[in-house]
Amino acid sequence: MPELDAERLEVADTLRRALAIENELSRPQARAYVRCLQTTWQVPTIQWAERESTQQLADARRLLHAAHIFREIEGAGSARAIDCFRRTGEILEWLSRAADTLRTVIPIELLAAAAYQLGGLPAMASGLLRQIVTEHEGVALYAAFLKADFDGVIRLSAAFWNAHPDLTASDASLRLAEPGVEVDELDEEDDRVGWFFTVELVRSLGLIADSLRRGDDARLETAMAKLYALDEMAARTFSDDASLVLSLMRQVADGYKAASIYRPLIALAALNPDRTGKLVAYARDQFSRGRGILWTSQLQGLDRLLRDSSFALCTPTGSGKTLVANMALVKELLLREHDGLAPLAIYLVPSRALAGEVEAKLRSELGGEMTVTALYGGADWGITDYWLTGDEPTVLIATVEKADALMRYLGPILTARLRLLILDEAHQIVPDSGENTRVSFSDHSNRSIRLENFVSRVVTQRPDVVRIALTAVAGGAALPVARWIEGRRDAEAVGVRYRSTRQVIGVLETAPNATGRILLDIMNGRILYIRGQEQPVYLRLRMQPMPQLPAAMRNSLNRFNCLSVLWTALHLVEEDQRILISVAQEPEQTMRWFKEALELGSWAAVPRFAAPDGPDRARFDEARAACIDYCGEVSFELFLLDRGIATSHGQMPQRLRRLMTEMIERRICPITVATATLTEGVNLPFDHIFLTSLKRRSWDQETQTQVIAPLSTSEFRNLAGRAGRPGAAKGIEGMALIALPTQVSSTAPATIPVQRGQLRELRRDYERLRVSLLIEEMDADEVESPLALLLNAIQERASRLLGVDPDDFLEWLEQVLPTDISGAAGEGATDARARLADTLDELDGVLLTALDEIARAEDTAMTGARAEAHLVDLWRTTFTSTAAIQEAWLERAFVQRGRAIVETIYPDAEERRRLYQYGFSPLVGRRFEEIAPRVRELIAAATTYGEDDAEARVDVFEEIGELLAADRGFGFRVRQTDTDQALLRSWTNVLGWWMHEPEFLAPEADDLRAWQRFVADNLEFRLGVAIGAVVAQVWSTGAGDAFAVPSLAEWKATTGLPWFGFWARELLRWGTHDPFVAFALSQNLAQTREAAAERREEFDAWLNEEFDDIDPDDRIDPQLFLQWQGSLSRRERVAAADGPEAVQLTGTNGRRQRYSVIPVENGALIRWLDPAGFELARSDDILGEFPTRRIGNDYELRINPRETAVHRTFSATSRQ
Amino acid sequence: MAIALFQWAKPMHTCEPPTEVIEEWLASNGKIKGTYGHLLLEQQTATDEDLIAAMRPYFESAHLDAREYFHRQIAIDLHPDADAPGAHARYPGCLPSTARRGLFGEVMAGMMTEAFQGQFVGGHEWRIPIFLFREHADVEAYLWDLARNPARTRQIFGRFGSDFVGLSLNDAGEVVRFIAGEAKWRQQLTKSAVDSLMLGKWEEDEETGERARSGRGVWFEINRDTPIPHGLRQLQRLLELRDPAGHQAAILSIDQAIILDNAPPLPRTNLILIAGNGACGRKALDVLIRWEEAPEEYTAPHDLQVVELILTNGEALIDGLYSTLWQGGE
Repeated sequence: MPELDAERLEVADTLRRALAIENELSRPQARAYVRCLQTTWQVPTIQWAERESTQQLADARRLLHAAHIFREIEGAGSARAIDCFRRTGEILEWLSRAADTLRTVIPIELLAAAAYQLGGLPAMASGLLRQIVTEHEGVALYAAFLKADFDGVIRLSAAFWNAHPDLTASDASLRLAEPGVEVDELDEEDDRVGWFFTVELVRSLGLIADSLRRGDDARLETAMAKLYALDEMAARTFSDDASLVLSLMRQVADGYKAASIYRPLIALAALNPDRTGKLVAYARDQFSRGRGILWTSQLQGLDRLLRDSSFALCTPTGSGKTLVANMALVKELLLREHDGLAPLAIYLVPSRALAGEVEAKLRSELGGEMTVTALYGGADWGITDYWLTGDEPTVLIATVEKADALMRYLGPILTARLRLLILDEAHQIVPDSGENTRVSFSDHSNRSIRLENFVSRVVTQRPDVVRIALTAVAGGAALPVARWIEGRRDAEAVGVRYRSTRQVIGVLETAPNATGRILLDIMNGRILYIRGQEQPVYLRLRMQPMPQLPAAMRNSLNRFNCLSVLWTALHLVEEDQRILISVAQEPEQTMRWFKEALELGSWAAVPRFAAPDGPDRARFDEARAACIDYCGEVSFELFLLDRGIATSHGQMPQRLRRLMTEMIERRICPITVATATLTEGVNLPFDHIFLTSLKRRSWDQETQTQVIAPLSTSEFRNLAGRAGRPGAAKGIEGMALIALPTQVSSTAPATIPVQRGQLRELRRDYERLRVSLLIEEMDADEVESPLALLLNAIQERASRLLGVDPDDFLEWLEQVLPTDISGAAGEGATDARARLADTLDELDGVLLTALDEIARAEDTAMTGARAEAHLVDLWRTTFTSTAAIQEAWLERAFVQRGRAIVETIYPDAEERRRLYQYGFSPLVGRRFEEIAPRVRELIAAATTYGEDDAEARVDVFEEIGELLAADRGFGFRVRQTDTDQALLRSWTNVLGWWMHEPEFLAPEADDLRAWQRFVADNLEFRLGVAIGAVVAQVWSTGAGDAFAVPSLAEWKATTGLPWFGFWARELLRWGTHDPFVAFALSQNLAQTREAAAERREEFDAWLNEEFDDIDPDDRIDPQLFLQWQGSLSRRERVAAADGPEAVQLTGTNGRRQRYSVIPVENGALIRWLDPAGFELARSDDILGEFPTRRIGNDYELRINPRETAVHRTFSATSRQ
Repeated sequence: MAIALFQWAKPMHTCEPPTEVIEEWLASNGKIKGTYGHLLLEQQTATDEDLIAAMRPYFESAHLDAREYFHRQIAIDLHPDADAPGAHARYPGCLPSTARRGLFGEVMAGMMTEAFQGQFVGGHEWRIPIFLFREHADVEAYLWDLARNPARTRQIFGRFGSDFVGLSLNDAGEVVRFIAGEAKWRQQLTKSAVDSLMLGKWEEDEETGERARSGRGVWFEINRDTPIPHGLRQLQRLLELRDPAGHQAAILSIDQAIILDNAPPLPRTNLILIAGNGACGRKALDVLIRWEEAPEEYTAPHDLQVVELILTNGEALIDGLYSTLWQGGE
């Protein structure tokens, strides 16, 4: 290191510290950003002088110079250079978006995009460049290059060659460079050096783009050498700005080369060279999807994947962690040698909605190589579960609940096949520390403990199973999750701590008779103005004020506020913004308010929604049909959908939820009203999120008090992080805005003081959030963990309620039975003692499950001593043990209670096995066991279900349901509200409506959600679980062999049940009494239940034709459904792949035998050009023989004694 | 074909100006008043082979760096059948004559600065470690538009950089002052040509129809240039590439000048060199820019040195030089 390098670094760092610290904006920078936002929103801007622009530009140049010094001395990966590049990108982006006049002097957008690329923020680069329209073809070409849009680079360079055919001759460049040689179009006085330089630059960029996407390293090297040489020449001969752009492009190209997906994939292929071809094809396909250049976090993830097995990847939303997961699947399922059982991966997702999203993504990329299937629910085997019998590598995508249920049912075979466990959104292992979590333990509804328990069981049994945790970034638990997943205290998460989008948090101020304005507070965790010292930063919206609302509406401040949000959203849609209105609770109320407002005469002028044309129209119609099907013609959901407003909440039937999500994804519905369940782990393209409340309220029947739960900052963060996804939204930043009224809305003297109080409270809520958001920017090192929280809850309550001395706690815990604590244990009672008993039962469930699973796997009797030894092992694999330092008593309590389970609490091994298989907590399971035989009898008796009428069919469910209706342990549970209690009393009405029994009345629009909730909680879930538990156990008993694989052919013989047993859960899920309808919907053979029912005739006709002696169960035999489906005429496949196209060589002697070429069409003539712009061959396109010739495909010119022809070697599939 | 990245040392500009020949060739009249210097150089002997031969080494030295990079760039042929670097072009000989005249002006700026530094304002010692040749203004039009568009005479982005940058170094090798400027060749140095150059071309007001100078000439550019010209950063980059060890103190002092807010400003001298043939009827000692004191158009706070280089049949010199550079082999 030259002796002055240290001083150079110090000079550069002085500037970095002054201008480019990640979480600090200088005041001028904050002002520049505010001005940019105001310009983007076309609202009045702050005062701004030209010299401020000049100063910002000068700062950007200086930062680039500092970045240059850092890279020169510290290397291309210099973190300090990255800081400088990022801030440069921001400064220039803000100037650019503020339409600054400097833009006419230098190509600011190109510089900004290059700086973002070099700062490791490619999405910001492309997000910015997408907003730029340029009339200059050169600028367009460089922009495409800086966006990593290689297809675009090739398209634009092809256009250039088409416009200058003289330049495509083999010797065109040499002639240009040769003094004295005349060149067409060029006068003596033209600057032929300049023109030559430009032509060579286009050649290099085209060749780099093509070589990158083909993975052709040899030609890439040549093209890069040329680009280097051009850069060196530019530094000498061009003005600073031109040479700067070129120099940055050259560095960006270096970055592309280093980050190409081909590199890690070829390294992976070393594990199994036979698979190289597949991996290379995969890499090419990723380029075609615009994902061929890896993000830093992906590179790091793949690097870890190559070196080690388990790790946690911590990376922001939208930065492509799915790719790392995909490669883990490829590595563990496809590249590893395996004999016998095909390998299996379980991909755990936090919600069923996400299971669908992940399934679609994985299937589109890996579906050809492995079976990818999402399991949406149920403990038993469903029609879509064909994976089990497959001898192909398989990925199961499931929620932890489903995975857990499967494990109880098919544990041995799953465990034997399992190679890889992927945990998506793994930070959900960390429970909230609030009272709700304690209640969720006693309700047996806590997810984090289920996740912890499931993973540690798997790891204890199969320590060699590779684990990969994917986790979000801000305020996260990356470090503890990493320690857990790797099982080492010194583990660290892989990935980068940065935001992939810019997030702005602020307030939408609402007031009667006034246009709303947006107050901007925080950008990426930094304040935008200093309170009390600087002017607040406003975006004053330009739209008509909302007309005065009728008294009934404005007398509720909340309602006024919600409607102001809707009014604002409807007008922002006109500017192509996509908006989520996030509702804390009771979405049905907001939906009704919206409907009633939209029906007001004074709202007639709001911008109208037009249903889409083209392919989206069919999707919209399908969603609409499903909405009518499941919600009814008069529902709020339909009314709003017809106005372009999608709705979603956790209790919505799944099919409708998926379709609603599609309406958002495809940007058909510009506005969405939803609860937080919509966005859990799911990426949807919203520009802005409005929140109407920062609290949830509920009523505690026990204490007769209102329970107010503020939105946690982590929930808010998760929500805010969904706004402004790079590439998906129009603007670069996403805004999360809390709607706050600035004035009371009521004019009634009695109401005004009440509203004033509410107003103050809303302000306080926001202030609390704002302050804690600024404080909680840091990552947590120590976090809550599920088992610790559970054990602490037991200990604390035992002490408080029963006076158990902490010193005596372990002794107490060794012997106490839940039923000793409360006579209502296991019955879902809500008094404190019952809750303690149920919390203990939850712990017993964790222990019993772990122990019985081991006993089953080892096929030996469990003793107290063995239990202790196993639990000591198991404890070490828990999040609680590895994630943070814990008190020693926790482990002792865990182990000793486990020993007691075997020795004294549930000493009967047979019973333990049954309780394990039911899947309830043990005490609840014991009580369930009393009715289980009766459930089984009812199922077994349903032999005529196939021919019964609707009423008789629904009666079967009703009879089973009656066994559950009165029980609060395993049975139906509703909230203590009058509405819900009334619903429970008349639950058979809900059942009849849901199962689509004719004549059953649908709920009023206002009641719809309460009915849906009852269906989701009690019919789909609790009734479904009860039936599933019985069926699963019957199957296990019948199968005998733990490794038996269920198959349709043997299902009836094994269980001895009629097909009704197979279908019952599917029927509850789809809301139909007819298995055929469930089948048709699940196989996408119909869009609505009615349409599916209509197709039954087709099936019946086929059945009558094919078979004689049809008995009732044949009419619902899934094997026959499948046979019938197979008989349907298949959709005609699109024309087969094109053959090679014969060509005449024009610009090569063909001695290299193979040449990469791109097609340039000129009338009927196709000129086949080398990507550097030299024509190599020609062909005629008389009959359009090669109809799918596209710039996104790869073509190769092959010359050998048999042929001189162009082959298509890669075909880009069309995507939307 | 693997091509290594180029990190060559050496081809710095090291050739001394041919002082004796210059003194014989040019009559010099210099005047310095305060921060303004004016130097009139008038050709007094005819251009001949000896003059050209004497100046050739300096020109070859000045062009050496750019020539190497130009050739290397050209040698990389992207045609898929090309398998060895094949160079044919000869820089700068391959340039059109206008470009060669521009280059000539830039080299002369360096040569005159080195040769006459004693008569320049401030009396500083000047060195030109490496020459920038940034005469390809048109390239930017090609570059941004990907087309040869005669209608667009000026590039769409970017201002012209300083044509020429030289340094004054202290004993420690640090930059203590720099000289930056414009070097312009005009075939006939008439008043009108010089006014167009210095004050901008004639423009007609669309409403009044009155003609006036646009105001965007050399004075405008030189007055509005940033305190540290971008050319200095480019020069630094060449030093980093060519001689990072030998010039590390200079490199560091340029970093400081560019980056630090509170660094003492790097003193600057502006240079304007106008070269060309004297206009018809020109008398000896006639000047194009007044010499008594700095013209009022000049508003920048830095020292200003004007050099007028009045030649007789300058084209013969230029063509004579450029057609014979490197004729004796590399």
